Amino acid sequence: MIKQNANNIKLGIFVLAGLIFLILILYMIGRNRNLFGSNFILKVEFENVQGLKAGNNVRYAGIDVGTVKRINLINDTVTEVIMTIGDKAKTIIRKNAIASIATDGLVGNKVVNITSAKQASALAEDGDVLRSKKPLDTDDMLRTLSRTNNDVAFIAENLKTTVSRLNNSTALWNILNDKALPHNLQLSAYHIRLATAKANSIVNDLYAIVSNVKNGGGSLGAILTDTAFAYNLNMAVTKIETVSDHADTLSLQLSHLVTGIQSDVNHGSGIVNALLKDSGMVIKLNESLDNVQKGTDGFNQNMEALKHNFLFRGYFRKIESKKKQEGKQVTTAR
Amino acid sequence: MKQISSLNAALNEAGDISRFTGRFLSHWFKPRYEVAEFFRQCFIIGYKSLPLVGLTGFIMGLVLTMQLRPSMVDYGVESQLPAIVSIALIREIGPVITALIFAGKIGSSIGAELGSMRVTEQIDAMEVSGTNPFKYLVVTRVFAATCMLPVLVMLSDAIALYGCYLGVNIRGDTSFNLFWTQVFDNLAFYDVLPAFVKTFFFGFAVGIIGCYKGYNSRKGTEGVGRSANSAVVVSSIIIFVLDLLAVQITDLLGFY
Repeated sequence: MIKQNANNIKLGIFVLAGLIFLILILYMIGRNRNLFGSNFILKVEFENVQGLKAGNNVRYAGIDVGTVKRINLINDTVTEVIMTIGDKAKTIIRKNAIASIATDGLVGNKVVNITSAKQASALAEDGDVLRSKKPLDTDDMLRTLSRTNNDVAFIAENLKTTVSRLNNSTALWNILNDKALPHNLQLSAYHIRLATAKANSIVNDLYAIVSNVKNGGGSLGAILTDTAFAYNLNMAVTKIETVSDHADTLSLQLSHLVTGIQSDVNHGSGIVNALLKDSGMVIKLNESLDNVQKGTDGFNQNMEALKHNFLFRGYFRKIESKKKQEGKQVTTAR
Repeated sequence: MKQISSLNAALNEAGDISRFTGRFLSHWFKPRYEVAEFFRQCFIIGYKSLPLVGLTGFIMGLVLTMQLRPSMVDYGVESQLPAIVSIALIREIGPVITALIFAGKIGSSIGAELGSMRVTEQIDAMEVSGTNPFKYLVVTRVFAATCMLPVLVMLSDAIALYGCYLGVNIRGDTSFNLFWTQVFDNLAFYDVLPAFVKTFFFGFAVGIIGCYKGYNSRKGTEGVGRSANSAVVVSSIIIFVLDLLAVQITDLLGFY
């Protein structure tokens, strides 16, 4: 019976040892996966997680602080990584910390590295989304490097031609070798300085004038500042106004007069109207003129008859001979 | 003609083993339970096997570490030696090596014990005396084997990891703390749990085959030797078949 008891104790120890080792293994693994103890969740969004898996470590300053719990595809460009972080890191990780994906060693597992930002910020809380840094993509890097190389080669080629052209340029070398050039440049600088000084004095003068004008000096100043002048000007303008008012009335009266004359001409019984408008008058005048014509014709005949009359013949002959004499004198003088 | 008869014999045996397993299950559920005998068998099957299993586990851990070191040094990942050895030990080598040793020791002893009881007609005498020999002999042994192998495997893993620690330190210099951290940093639940679950099946297979072979022993003392021998051979093969099944199932379930 004693032997049986001893055997049972040995069996108990054996079984317990096995179970304790199993529990120890499971506990150690669980502790590494943050299954025990309190922890909190942080999220971060990446464009490309580069093979990150649930269970990968999360590091802060190179120390394991948690694990990746789950990776969700949000849409075609965004992948959300949900991380379980141990409570120990709760007092360290801040809201503006930056998460990036890196590789543990050269060929090791992927890890999420959380680095602190320089700026101050509140402590991260459960469920916060951290900022992400685009992971280093070697493909991308090599592509950029290749492009940069091409650019550098192109620039070097251009530099080479530029330098050789500079070397061959006699004009440039003349400029560089010209010993008088520095002196000339110095002189130019001196002149520029003088010009600047003059410009400065001009500006000062202008300033003085302007301030003078402001204070009421000179005629411009008087115009701008004298209140009496303004009154006089006002008066003059008023007078001009009254004069123009008078001119207005005058022109009105003139207009009335003209209208009266016009109506007289058109409808009145005056001479002008008779002259301009009465057609009967024209006929009468015509007749009168005809009569006058006839009268003058008759008179002409009478005059011709008088010439041949013996009483006046002698007078007409005397006039004729006088005319003849004057004609002879003109021809002899020539 | 001979091949057909041997194939027939193999199929016949497979059917008999299935029936035997069914009988075990039906007796296992039904009272009355032989508790004291179960613990006695646990002591014999589990505790008494520990030195042998511990020794083989220790040697496996040490040897595996030393054998892997040159290749790891070639690849420049010598520091990962504890990680790779611990994963190999926990996932595969611990359970399978322990189960094979267990089959060699326990399968043969059960087969010989029950076989000799059968040929000396002790089992028939039990039936006459009113004790259910199947319950008393088979159920206790099979259940004890099923329960003890997982414990043995766990202890074997622990001892093998200690052997690995010594192996790492033969040429390198790794503190126990660092070794411990490296091992548990690289282990996951899906390394430990499938390996742990499959050891129950290994233990059950060893127990049931040993009991079947012994319980159905024939032809006197010669038959006892044959029973013991074939119990070891068949249970070893079944351990490998079960291991293949286990790895496929864990792979299908995504534990990798």
